Amino acid sequence: MQFTRETVRTEVLALLKGHAQAGSTVQESSHLVGDLGIDSLGVMELIADIEDKFKLSIPDDALRDVDTVDSVVRAIVSRLEKAGRLEG
Amino acid sequence: MSRAYQPRTVAQAIEDAASATKNGYRFVDESSDAEPFFSHGGIERASARYGGALQALGLKKGDRVALILPDNADFVFAFLGAVRAGIIPVPIYPPTGLGKLAGYLDNTLHIVERSGAKILLTSTEIKLMLGTIAAKAPALQKVVAVEPVRTSKEELKPAKVALDDVCFLQFTSGSTSRPKGVTLTHANLAANVRSIMELGLGVRDSVDSGVSWLPLYHDMGLIGFVIAPVYHRNTITFLPPLLFLKRPARWLDAISRHRGTISFGPNFAYALCVKRIKEQELAGLDLSSWRVAGCGAEPIRAENLRAFADKFAPVGFDPKAFVCCYGMAESTLAISFSKLGTGVNVDTVEGDKLWSAHKAVPAPESSERAAPIVQCGSAFPDHDIQVFAPDDEEGKTPLGDREVGEIRLRGPSVMQGYYGETELSQKAFAGGWLRTGDLGYLANGMVHICGRSKEVIIVNGRNYYPQDLEWEAGGVHGVRKGNVIAFGTMKPTGDRERVVLVFETMVTGDDALHKLKGEVRTAVQQGIGLTIDDVVAVKVGVLPKTSSGKLQRGKARELYETGDLYVRSSARDLDRLDTVKELAKSQLGYFRTALFGSKNED
Repeated sequence: MQFTRETVRTEVLALLKGHAQAGSTVQESSHLVGDLGIDSLGVMELIADIEDKFKLSIPDDALRDVDTVDSVVRAIVSRLEKAGRLEG
Repeated sequence: MSRAYQPRTVAQAIEDAASATKNGYRFVDESSDAEPFFSHGGIERASARYGGALQALGLKKGDRVALILPDNADFVFAFLGAVRAGIIPVPIYPPTGLGKLAGYLDNTLHIVERSGAKILLTSTEIKLMLGTIAAKAPALQKVVAVEPVRTSKEELKPAKVALDDVCFLQFTSGSTSRPKGVTLTHANLAANVRSIMELGLGVRDSVDSGVSWLPLYHDMGLIGFVIAPVYHRNTITFLPPLLFLKRPARWLDAISRHRGTISFGPNFAYALCVKRIKEQELAGLDLSSWRVAGCGAEPIRAENLRAFADKFAPVGFDPKAFVCCYGMAESTLAISFSKLGTGVNVDTVEGDKLWSAHKAVPAPESSERAAPIVQCGSAFPDHDIQVFAPDDEEGKTPLGDREVGEIRLRGPSVMQGYYGETELSQKAFAGGWLRTGDLGYLANGMVHICGRSKEVIIVNGRNYYPQDLEWEAGGVHGVRKGNVIAFGTMKPTGDRERVVLVFETMVTGDDALHKLKGEVRTAVQQGIGLTIDDVVAVKVGVLPKTSSGKLQRGKARELYETGDLYVRSSARDLDRLDTVKELAKSQLGYFRTALFGSKNED
């Protein structure tokens, strides 16, 4: 499955709407915990969803580099790129 | 089981099990399907190499070694190897988490200092994160990477290990205090393993097969699934804890594939399976081999277990497999188990009489004030459980049947004390009884737990448990579930205990917040019949938590009384980045407080 930066962004924003707490607005600068109210169990669930959506495997230590929506997008893009599955 | 019981040290049990070549430990790893398997003979040899390597580092019998090992196989071999050498392991949870490490390092340093560990064994990656910890802990000589130890050829030099020797230190973090090191001897472990395996679960040597995703630095995973199975030569399949949290179906899949007969989890684990496992993931599962589904380490909610049974009965899960467990690290691990094969037994009592009269009066389920209390079985042989008034410092006058008070315990599973903490150790006992700090009652000798005594809120002579208020408030849309703290305070008026409930929310705007607070008040009023004096809404990250993510009710009360709770709230507005960093969570935090505290998940 191939993706572009733009489709990754759109898909991530759509996924996050299902995880964010009521009353929060999902933006690229949003912090997963601080702004979207996603707790630690929620982060693990989100990662499982991302792995399924993008057919990727996200190792546990990648969690340390992820805090905002934008950083999630970047983490996915760089893994897709390595796998030769990023267009454009 | 037919032979007379002879207590053995853990070291002896490892050697005795070495002749078993068909049973042993299997390690599931997310990145590969290989599932490496070590027979008990292989475990004996691998632990000898790790133990020999620790001796070669200069560690001697009685020395402490801190272990921060995220890899399950490393942990098992290093732990058992140290024990065989008479070196005292001190398991510490590994960091994972989003962001800043300060809280984690602080806790780790505390444990390293208190235990007086000379060596800290960890992975190369974590070693880098620990930075200058060695410079700050005077007794700590070296932080050692585990990778070279894996291929070490050092021989284990024989060490004499006796039943009264300390086996390991189990650090527990209370919700109000720094971690304390529960000192466990080989005799404690032998007694508790016998209680769990023979008397509680009727484990068949070499036949029963366990599956565990539980963290190995916590008593339920470590004693229940690393130490106890060595005594009984069982096969255990280990999964990484984070893999379970990411994909709960992998837990049940492992039970199904390996025909697991025994597996344990806290209440939240069963709830997580109900919430997260999809219909299509049920296909191919066969849970009919699972004869003991243990539930412990946090308050048990019968409705969560019922929902699990309903969902997984079609794939062979037997609701009678549930064993409701009560335990704590100070009692090695287990205090009491519900009777095998009986499933979840609920005692329905008059909720208001529980609080007002300190009595558990049976009530019909249809009663408006009915409170379901899960029964956790009776004391193991050689152990006594009694209930005392919390202020009965001598432990002389046990309360009667169905009278609510503090649960206390004595027997061979009870710890010697906290390592290097004379005063705290004394306070842990009353007249020879271990004070559990849990409120509950006995009915026909069966243990029923209602809550933690230190945190009980008393209004007009009635006891209210903060968990119950928090649970009701957590159900209100807009309240961050699991991020609610209730407590009582005598301030500012001093005439009576006022009830305060603080919750985190993403909701902003005065009108919306006002409305939300009203809904919280109503929910608690309707659910429990208690009027809250003050409802406080704070932003995400403001509620005080331990570095392991456990809510600190005592600390929240302090912050409220000094007015700092509000300061914290507004200070965070000024520096959002800092808020975010404060939220850094350790791996332990991923279990929410679920494994370690009293916060409930759903």
